[in-house]
Amino acid sequence: MFIRARSRRFAAGVALASVVLVLAGCGSAPEPTRAARVPEGNADQTPLSELTPVADPRSYEGPSTAIVAQPDIVPVEPAPRPRLPVTVTDHQGTQITVDDASRVLALDRSGTLAATVFGLGLGDRVVGRDSSTGFPAARDLPLVTSNGHQLNSEAVLKLRPSVVLTDTTLGPWSVVLQLRDAGIPVVVVTPQRTLDNNGDIVRAVAGALGVPDAGTELADRLDREVEAKRAEIAALAPDDETRRPRVVFLYVRGTAGVYHMFGKGSGADALISALGAVDVASEVGVDGTRPINPEALAKAKPDVILLMTGGLESVGGADGAAGIPGVAQTPAGQHRRFVDMNDYQILSFGPLSAPVLDALARALYAPDSLKAAG
Amino acid sequence: MTATASPPATPGTDTAAPAGRRPVRVVVLFAVLVAGLVVVSLVSAAVGQFGIPLSQVVGSILNRVGIDVLAAPADPFAEAALWDVRFPRVVLALLVGGVLGVCGALMQGCFGNPLAEPGVVGVSSGAAVGACLSIVFGWTFLGSFTTPALAFCTGLATTLAVYVLARSKGKAGVVTMILTGVAVNAVAGAAISFLVFAGDQAAREQIVFWQLGSLAGSRWVYVATIAPLVAVCAIVALLLAKRLDLLSLGDRQARHLGVDVEVLRLVTIVVVAVAVSAAVSYSGIIGFVGLVVPHLIRMITGPGHRVLIPASLLGGALLLVAADLLARNAFDYADLPIGMLTALVGGPFFFWLLLRTRRREGGWT
Repeated sequence: MFIRARSRRFAAGVALASVVLVLAGCGSAPEPTRAARVPEGNADQTPLSELTPVADPRSYEGPSTAIVAQPDIVPVEPAPRPRLPVTVTDHQGTQITVDDASRVLALDRSGTLAATVFGLGLGDRVVGRDSSTGFPAARDLPLVTSNGHQLNSEAVLKLRPSVVLTDTTLGPWSVVLQLRDAGIPVVVVTPQRTLDNNGDIVRAVAGALGVPDAGTELADRLDREVEAKRAEIAALAPDDETRRPRVVFLYVRGTAGVYHMFGKGSGADALISALGAVDVASEVGVDGTRPINPEALAKAKPDVILLMTGGLESVGGADGAAGIPGVAQTPAGQHRRFVDMNDYQILSFGPLSAPVLDALARALYAPDSLKAAG
Repeated sequence: MTATASPPATPGTDTAAPAGRRPVRVVVLFAVLVAGLVVVSLVSAAVGQFGIPLSQVVGSILNRVGIDVLAAPADPFAEAALWDVRFPRVVLALLVGGVLGVCGALMQGCFGNPLAEPGVVGVSSGAAVGACLSIVFGWTFLGSFTTPALAFCTGLATTLAVYVLARSKGKAGVVTMILTGVAVNAVAGAAISFLVFAGDQAAREQIVFWQLGSLAGSRWVYVATIAPLVAVCAIVALLLAKRLDLLSLGDRQARHLGVDVEVLRLVTIVVVAVAVSAAVSYSGIIGFVGLVVPHLIRMITGPGHRVLIPASLLGGALLLVAADLLARNAFDYADLPIGMLTALVGGPFFFWLLLRTRRREGGWT
C-alpha cells in the first residue's frame, strides 16, 4: 500500500512536471520564426534611378541586407467613408452582405490583406493582426494567429469584428466557418500572391468594405508604382541575358535542416523575375515550395540566394548559410552572396510591392550604395 | 506477445480490488466519473478566451430552455462565442474522448493484449492518409466535410484491410493481426510522408496540425454527424461486454462456452473502425486516451467488461474534456495541440504502469 501510494505520487509528479516544463518552454518563445521588428527605413536615400550598378552583379562578393525605405503603408487621401451595406460575391462564390466596417480583421499568411486595408485609409478600423503583419502602424495590434498560422475562434470573436477578410492560407478552415456560424460576414479573397494581382486583391477588399472608389485609386496607384519600379530596375539590370544574376529564394529555418526552395507560384518567382534576374527554381522546374536537394541546388548554380532575415539568422548568418550542404557548392555560397530582407516584408506584396522591389534591386545591383548609406 | 494464453489485459487488478469490495468500488467509480464529467464540462463551458462571466453563461443556457432567471450576455459576440464555438467544442470533446476510451477497452478485450488500442489496426494512420490527400490536393467536392469524410473512409478501409490481410482459413490470429497492423501502419506512414513532401507550405502546416490533433474547429454539424455513430457504437460495445468477458478466458475456452470468436472479433473491429474513424475525422489524431483510460479503470474495478466499457466511455470523455480545457486556455490567442497534451500525460503514466506491473508480477512478457 505504501509503495503504491508513493509511486502514484511519483507518476503524478512526473506528469505534472513534464506538462509544466513544456508549457514553460512554449511560453517563453511565442514567435521564434519572425525577425523581431521591421527595420527603420531610410526615407532620403538616393533614388534607384540615380544609382550606378556594379559592373558584374553575378560575381559580387559578400552579403547584403535589403531594407525597405518606407516600411509603413501610404494610405489613399483623403480617408474614404464606407458606403454600406454592400453585398459581394467572394473568391469562393459565396454571397456576403457587409453592413458594418467599423471593426475590421484582415488576416492571411503573407500579411497582404491588413496592409491593403491600411492602404485604403481604413487602418484605424483594424482591430487585430496576423503573425505576418508587422509594419509600424499595425505591430501593436493584438495577434490572433499563433505560430503555425492557426486561428482561434474565441480570440477572434473577443475582438468583436464586424467583418473578417481572409483567404484560404490560415487554418483550420472550420474556424472560418465557425465565424460565419456566429453571424460575422467573412469575405474570402484569392490566396494567390504575385505582382500581377495586387489590383484584384485591392478591389476585392475595397468592395467588401464599401469603398470601391478608394479601391480603384489604390489599385491603379500600386500598378503604376510597380510598373515604374520595373522600368527603373530594367535600367539597372544588365542587358545581356547571360550577365543577369541567377537568383534562388531559399526558406531556411534553424540548423535542423528545414531548407525549402520557393519556385513557381510561390510569390518568390514573381519577385525574382521583376528584379530582372533569372529565377533558378522555376528554371529547374520547382513548383510551389520543395525541400532542397543539395546536389540539385549545386547543379543549378545560383549566383545570389534570397532569404528572410530571420531565416538567415536562424542558420547563423552568412557564414552559417554558406555551410549548408548544397549551398556551399554554389557560386552564391562561395561568394557568400546572400541577400536578406525582413520576414514580414519580403513576400508581403500588396501596398509594399514597389518598396520591396526597390530595396531588393539596390541590394542586388548596387550593394555598395547600402554600405555607403550606413 | 505470448500474453494471449492467459487473461493478460488485467495486470494488477486482483491485488487492487478484493472481490468483496468491488461493487462498492464500482458505485464509487461511476459516481466520481459522472460527477467529474458534469463538473469539468460545466467548467469547460464557462471558461474560454472570450472571458464571459459564469452567471451569463448559466443565464444564456437557461434562457435557451425558457427560464429567465439570470441575464444572458447582452453582447451578441459573447452569445455567439458560447453557442457557435465553445459549446460544440465541449460536446465534441465528450464524444471523441468517449469513443476513444470505449474503443481502447474493446480492442484490449478483443485482442487480449494490453498494448492494443485503435491505432494498432491502422485506424488513425489510415484516417490521416485520407485527410492528408484532401489537404494536399485541395479537394472540396463535399465542401467542409471533404477532409473528415475522406478520413473516415480511409480509416475504415485501412482497418478492414488489416483484418482481411491477417485472416487465413476463416481466422484472424491476434499476433498476426497486430503485426499486419504494424506493416500497414508503416505503409500509411510512408504515404503521409510523401504527401507532406508533395504539399505546399500551407498544406504541410495543416497536415502537422491534423496529426497533432485539435478540437479547434468544432461545429454543431460535426457533432450531429458523429453523434449517431458514436451512440450506435457505444450500445453495440455494451452488448459485446459479456462475450468479451468470456473471451478473456482464452479463445478455446470462449468457443466452448458458445462464443463465436471470429464473429466477435469482426464485429468489434468494425465497431472500432467506424467509431474511431468518425471521431478522429474531425479531431485529428489524439493518442493515448484509448490506451490509458481502460488500464486506469481496470486498476480500480477489475477486468469485467460490463463495468469497464461504460466506465471507459465516461473516463475517456472526462480526460479529453479536461485536456481540451487546458488546450484552449493555456495561451492567449492560441490553441495547444490536444494530442500533445494527452500524450504528455499518457506517456509517463503508461511508463509508470509498466514499472508497477513489473514490480508486482514480473511484467508483461
